[in-house]
Amino acid sequence: MDETVAEFIKRTILKIPMTKMMTVLKAWDFLSENQLQTVNFRKRKESLAQDLVLLCEENGVSLNDAALLDIIYTQFHRHQRVWDLFQMAKEPGEDIDLSDMEQFKSSFKKILQRALKNVTVTFRDTEENAVWIRIAWGTQYRKPNQYKPAYVMYYSQTPYAFISFSQLRSNTPLLCQALTIASKHHQIVKMDLRSRYLDSLKAIVFKQYNQNFETHNSATHLQERRLGLDINMDSRIIHENRIEKDRVHRVTQEIFGDYSQPRLEFAQYKLETKFKSDLNGGILAEREEPLRCLVKFSSPHLLEALKSLASAGIADAPLSPLLTCIPSKGMNYFKIKDK
Amino acid sequence: MELEKALSQDESKGGVLAHLEKLETQVNRSRKKLEEPQGAQAVESSLGTKIRDKLRSEVKQRQARVAVRDTSVEPDQTLEISEQKAWERKRENVKAILQAYRFTGLSGKLTSRGVCVCIHTAFEGTLLDSYFVDLVIQKPLRIHHHSIPAFIPLEEISAKYLQTNIQHFLFSLCEYLNAYAGRKYQADQLQRDFAAFLAGPLQRNSLCNVLSFTYKVELRGQAFTFCARLLYKDLTVTLPTDVTVTHQGMDTLPTSWEEQRASHENLFCTKALHKVFASFTQREKLDMSLVH
Repeated sequence: MDETVAEFIKRTILKIPMTKMMTVLKAWDFLSENQLQTVNFRKRKESLAQDLVLLCEENGVSLNDAALLDIIYTQFHRHQRVWDLFQMAKEPGEDIDLSDMEQFKSSFKKILQRALKNVTVTFRDTEENAVWIRIAWGTQYRKPNQYKPAYVMYYSQTPYAFISFSQLRSNTPLLCQALTIASKHHQIVKMDLRSRYLDSLKAIVFKQYNQNFETHNSATHLQERRLGLDINMDSRIIHENRIEKDRVHRVTQEIFGDYSQPRLEFAQYKLETKFKSDLNGGILAEREEPLRCLVKFSSPHLLEALKSLASAGIADAPLSPLLTCIPSKGMNYFKIKDK
Repeated sequence: MELEKALSQDESKGGVLAHLEKLETQVNRSRKKLEEPQGAQAVESSLGTKIRDKLRSEVKQRQARVAVRDTSVEPDQTLEISEQKAWERKRENVKAILQAYRFTGLSGKLTSRGVCVCIHTAFEGTLLDSYFVDLVIQKPLRIHHHSIPAFIPLEEISAKYLQTNIQHFLFSLCEYLNAYAGRKYQADQLQRDFAAFLAGPLQRNSLCNVLSFTYKVELRGQAFTFCARLLYKDLTVTLPTDVTVTHQGMDTLPTSWEEQRASHENLFCTKALHKVFASFTQREKLDMSLVH
């Protein structure tokens, strides 16, 4: 067996945390139950990895199998990568998309292989008609670098692709082109949305983050819940700003809804606006050119943090639409210019 | 039948909506009585279809009358009707539409800013998934959020109809969703109940509008493998528009089996997928019983 493949598998196994080792290996489904039972998982990781590699060699592991293991590892640790969102478009009035997944995959692979002699392309299907694609880039003269792959997650028959680039950015245009052609689109555009949390990106772009719909039954429950809150409160405690508190609560509910927000880590605003000041003078107020500045909001969970700003008394309710439009517009990068 | 009597009696009293409400209570009552699945579903679906068709034609008539009224009023009074009144009129209109369309699988609830429409899908009497669209009644009318799958061309349909003709928008969306649900149901049934026939995995896509599978058929001791590819070029249908069945294997097909192949192509075009395989099962059973 190729030494590089053995090394690749060993390094991948060493990345997997011990708590997830069994789950990942089972998902890989390359080593049989019996083989896994012969392994002592309490050993030091270094020697455990060596044992597993020996078992893989017995089974005749190929580069493709190793790449699949890498995909599975990445699927379990998707938040370790940053994901960009791309939107594809068809020509207006085009025929119905009659492609199936197999056609897409073979077309995608062919396009890349025609352009770059050395490239490793691996696919893994998931439920919900999505496919994970792993691409390891080489050049005309060099074999693919298996340690800097790019990943694509694509839902068939939708215009969206989630791409996590490797550090080898020069291949981005080729990747986009291959995706567009293979999925029978004409154009691909990078959206202003990016995050580590792939599932949140998916929820935002497919508008699945709010699955609370008012049906004939739901409204009454909401009413009851609100009344319940009031009844449980101690009658000896009087809130002086009760009305304002309720107003803030109501406005926040209206804007952010009842559901848990999709998870983003930041929002970035690039301002190119003229400085506006209440004061008559000031150096900055005299400038004709727009002021260029970058405002970045960071948080472990940005949207939940924004949601709690008004009730914590830190900001006025309603919040600026620039902040609240993030999930509905599907953007967390903004460029603001004077109108 | 009591239902026919009810239909003729109530025609004179009240308007169309009152009529519809009475029909609704009738069906609800009769639905509660018919608890047994098989016979009940058949009766219910034929009843339901009759009522639904009658409703559709009545609603169309009413719409025609309302449309005439509306066009005659607007030019003179546009400047005087305030934003609020226009909003209220739209709201009432939507309410009336939703009350009328209950039986076509559409139901809705008015919300503080518009309406939340629920589309119930079904295929041949089996109730399938429900999808929601929450609309905000503003100028322009917009979708607040929804649970429609990403591969249904919602943007296209909204671009075409949402601003100009909300009924058409809802109906069109209903068509796409029902057709998708029907195709998915047929594919799922094939995988679930007739896996024994399949020689390999069923290949499908998100919209379930391209299905490929290999299946084996046994007759009179002979067995042959066929490769079928079903294309549904029209996303609003549940039967394929193109079917190709080819023989898998090196040997040439004997004439009797060539006829079989051709008849299979025809069957897939005209019958639901799982029903075709159900007929294969029946035929095999018959075959077996004849031999023994």
